[in-house]
Amino acid sequence: MTDNAIRISDLTVRYGRTTAVDHVALTVDRGGVYALVGRNGAGKSSLVRCLLGQQKPQHGETMLFGEDSWSRRAALMQRVGVVTEEADAPPEMSVASIARFCSRLYDKWDQASVEARLKTFGVPLASRFGSLSKGQKKQVSLALALAVSPELLVLDDPTLGLDVVARKSLFEEVIGDLADRGTTVFITTHDLAGVETFADRVGMMENGRLVLDEEVDALKSRFRRIRFAAQPVAIDTAALRPTVMRSWGGGAEAIVSNYDDLAFERMRSASNIGAAEVEAMSLEEIFIAIAGGKS
Amino acid sequence: MKNALVIAAREFEEKRFVAYAAVAFAILPFIFAVIPGIGGKSPSDTIAMSSLIFATGFAGALAVMSGASFVGRDLSDGRMSFYFSRPVASASIWFGKLTAAILMIVGCFVVIIAPAWLAAGKSWTTFSTLSLREASVMVLLYTLALFLIAHVIGTFARSRSPLIVADFAAAVLCGVAIRFLVLPLAAGLAEMLIARLGIFLAIALAVAIVGGGAWQLARGRTDRRRNHLALSQFLWGTMAVALLVAGTYVGWVVSAKPSDLTTRIIASHRAGSPFLVLAGRARNRGDYNAAYLIDVGDGSARKIDPDMWGAGGVEFTRDGRSLIAPRKENHSEDLVIYKRGASEPTETGLTLPSTYPFFASDDGNRIATIVRGNLSIYDVPQKRSLVSVRVPSDGRLYYQGFFVSPDVFRLYLHAQDGLSIYELDTRVRGLQATGAITNEGFVSFALDPTVSHMIVRRHNVDGVTLNDARSGAIIKTLVGGKNVLNYRFLRDGRMAIVEGPPSKTTLHIFSPGGTLQRDIPFDGGERVGFVGDDGTRVVLSVASKESSPRTLVAINLDRGVIERSERSGLDWTMAGAWESRPPIEPLREVIYGDGAGHIVAWNPVTGARRMVTGG
Repeated sequence: MTDNAIRISDLTVRYGRTTAVDHVALTVDRGGVYALVGRNGAGKSSLVRCLLGQQKPQHGETMLFGEDSWSRRAALMQRVGVVTEEADAPPEMSVASIARFCSRLYDKWDQASVEARLKTFGVPLASRFGSLSKGQKKQVSLALALAVSPELLVLDDPTLGLDVVARKSLFEEVIGDLADRGTTVFITTHDLAGVETFADRVGMMENGRLVLDEEVDALKSRFRRIRFAAQPVAIDTAALRPTVMRSWGGGAEAIVSNYDDLAFERMRSASNIGAAEVEAMSLEEIFIAIAGGKS
Repeated sequence: MKNALVIAAREFEEKRFVAYAAVAFAILPFIFAVIPGIGGKSPSDTIAMSSLIFATGFAGALAVMSGASFVGRDLSDGRMSFYFSRPVASASIWFGKLTAAILMIVGCFVVIIAPAWLAAGKSWTTFSTLSLREASVMVLLYTLALFLIAHVIGTFARSRSPLIVADFAAAVLCGVAIRFLVLPLAAGLAEMLIARLGIFLAIALAVAIVGGGAWQLARGRTDRRRNHLALSQFLWGTMAVALLVAGTYVGWVVSAKPSDLTTRIIASHRAGSPFLVLAGRARNRGDYNAAYLIDVGDGSARKIDPDMWGAGGVEFTRDGRSLIAPRKENHSEDLVIYKRGASEPTETGLTLPSTYPFFASDDGNRIATIVRGNLSIYDVPQKRSLVSVRVPSDGRLYYQGFFVSPDVFRLYLHAQDGLSIYELDTRVRGLQATGAITNEGFVSFALDPTVSHMIVRRHNVDGVTLNDARSGAIIKTLVGGKNVLNYRFLRDGRMAIVEGPPSKTTLHIFSPGGTLQRDIPFDGGERVGFVGDDGTRVVLSVASKESSPRTLVAINLDRGVIERSERSGLDWTMAGAWESRPPIEPLREVIYGDGAGHIVAWNPVTGARRMVTGG
C-alpha cells in the first residue's frame, strides 16, 4: 500500500494554446492536509478535475491511493468526498432527494450524519437545492461529501460564498476534525488564514506552474519581514534574499524568503545597519509577497 | 446497471412535472369534444384526432428539448461533475439519463393517447389507413430519431467549439456518400434495397449516437469540448464504417454481370443486329435490376440504365444495324445511337422528357417523337426537326408509329373506341387522318414489311382479318375461330397465324393476298410467340403454360415439318416477340437465356449452339 494519498506527476493541461497546468508534480501523504493556493485562473480547478478523474490531462498522471484517477475514477470515488467549486447538484431537486440519490450510489452512507450536519448548518432537508444560498449549497455539498466517511476529502474553494461564521466552522470544526481523524484533505482556497492553522503543506500555483510546494512550518520559518529604522540599507543578498523591498521617508522594509537568525545577526553586525525589527509572517502575507513579487 | 437505474430514477423524478403536463394534454381532447363548434358531429373523431395531434406534438417537442439538453445542458452548465464526483461509471450516467429521457417521451405519448384510444378507438380508421399501433410505433420511431439527433446537435452547439465546422463538413460528406449509394440502386429500380439501405444507415446512425453518447462521457466527462470531440469521432467514425460496409455491398450489387440475371429477364434483339439488350433481376441482389447492351458477336457487355427499359424503351432500327436508346439525364433523356463497330454511342442531339415514346426509321436516320401531344420528325444526320404537328389525344391510350418511308410516318392511335390511323408527310407538313378501325375495345395488329397491310385482331371479336394498313378497311377474314394464339407477317409478305388449344395447335400460312397456303400442325401450348423467319423456316417459342419452360421450334414452311427444337430457359420474353413488323434481315441465330446464367445463340438451321456470355 502506497503512503501517498495523492501523487501528481508532470501534469499538463492545455486549452487550445493556453496552458492551464504546466508540468505540475506534487504528493500528499495519507492523513495530510494540503492547501493549494493561487490567484484566479492559476490552474487550481483544472488540477482538481484531473485529480478527480473528470478531465484527462494532455500529459502526466494523477494517482489516488496508488491508482490512476482517470481509469479507476468510479471505484476511487467510493473513497473520496468532493466539494466542487460551483454547486453542481440539480437545482430542481430537494436536499433530501439529493441525499437519497447519493446514498444509493455509495457502498457506505451515513444518513444520520448528513441530517445532523445540515441541521447544524441550518439547511432544511425539504428545500429545493436551487433555492439555497451559495453558502448553503456548499454546506449541503460538504455534508454529502462527509457522509461516506471519505479517506480523502477534496475541497475546491469551499469557502466561496460562506459567511465568516460558516467559514470558521468549516475550517476549525469540520476539516480540523477530519485531519485529526487521519482523513487526507486536499483543499484549494484563497482563504489562507483559514487553512494556516491545520494545513501541513501548502502549494502555490501561478500561471499553471507550481511555484511553491512546501511544509507550512518550513515556509513560515523562512519568510520574515524586516523593518529597518534608517536607509539606505544594503543587504547582503548572499546571506538573506529579499523578495520584496520597500522604502519610505525614514526607513525601509524587506521581506526575505530565506531567513535565518544567525545569518541575520551576522549581516546586521557586518553591515552596521542599525536598528531592525524582525516579524514572522502569516501565510496570507507570504502569498501576497510571493505573488506580488512576481507580478 | 444498478447505478444506471438509480440515475434514471433520479432524472425521471426531476422531470415528473412533464408527466403532469402530459396528463393535462390527455384530458384536453375530451374537453374539445364537448365544446360546441369544435366537437363537430362526431365527438369520438375529435377525441381521436386531437389526441393523436397532441401526443405527436408533445412527444416531438419533448424529444427535441430533452435531446438537446439531457446531457448537453449539464455539460454547458458545469453540472456534470455532480455525477462524475460519485462512484458511477460514465456508461451508467449515459444509459441512466438516456433511459429516463426515452421513457419520459414514450410514457408521455402513451399517457396522452391511451385514454382517447380507449374512448374512441374505432374512430382511428376514419382518418388513417394505419392502425393505432402502427401509427404509434411510427410516431415514436420518428420521435426517438428526433431525440437522438437533437442530442447530437445540442452537444455540438453547446460546446461552442469550432469543431462544429468539421461536423458540418462530415455531415455533408455523409449526405453526398449516401446520395452516391442510392443513385445506382435507384437506377436499378431497387426500391426494396434502397429501403433496406435506409434502415441499415438509420440503425447505424442510432448505434453511432447511442454508442457515441457513452463514448463522449467516457472520454470527455465534464469537459464539454472533449465531449464534443469524442462524440464527433465516434459518430463520424461509425458512420464512415457503416457507409464503407454499405458502399461495399452496393458495389457488389451493381457489379452484377449478365450471367447473374436470374429472374424477370427481358431480352430484346432484332435479326441481323449485333446487339442484344438484356435486363432483369440479378442473383442474390434483392430487387436490383440490371440491363446490358451485349455484343452478340463477342459476348462483351456494357451496362446501361435499366430504367431505359421502361416506357420509352430501346428501339432497334429495322435493319438491325443500330440501336437507339435513351440516356437518362435528370428528368430527361438524351437519345443516343449505338452502331455496329462503334465503341461509343453517337449523340443524336435529341432530348426527350422521360417516358415519352419515340420511333425510328428503318435505318435510324429519322426519329419520330410524341411529346405532350406534339408529333415531331427529327433528322439525325442534320440534327434538326423537320416538322412538328399536334396529334389528337382524346381518349388516347397509347401510340404506335412506323416509318412507311423516310418521309412518311404512320401513326396508330389506340383509344377506347378502337384505332385511328394518321400519316405525316414531312414534305407536306400536315397530319392527315387516313382511316380508322372502330371497336368496343382494344385493337391489336401486325404489319407487313411495307406497312401496306395489317393483320387485325379486335377485342371481343372472334378471328383475325387482313386489313389495309393505311385506311384500316377490311380486305378479308383470315381465320374466324376464337382460338388465335398469335399472328405475324413474314419477311416476304406471307402471313403466319397460330391457332391453338383446345384443338391441336396449327400454324396457318397465308399468301400476301390472304389465300391459305398450308396448315402445319405441331405440339404447341397456350403460349406461342414468333421469334422470326429466314424465308424457309419460321421459329416459334412455345410453352404449354405461362410458367412452363419454353421450347424453340423451327418449322420448315416448304416441307411443313418441325426441323429442330431447342429447350430454352424460363423468364424470357423472346427476341422479336413484341415486334409488329418483320425485320429486314433474315433470322440466322436465336438468342436465348438457358436459365443457368448463359446466353446462347442457337442456329435453327444446323442446331449449333454458341455461348454468347456466361460460357
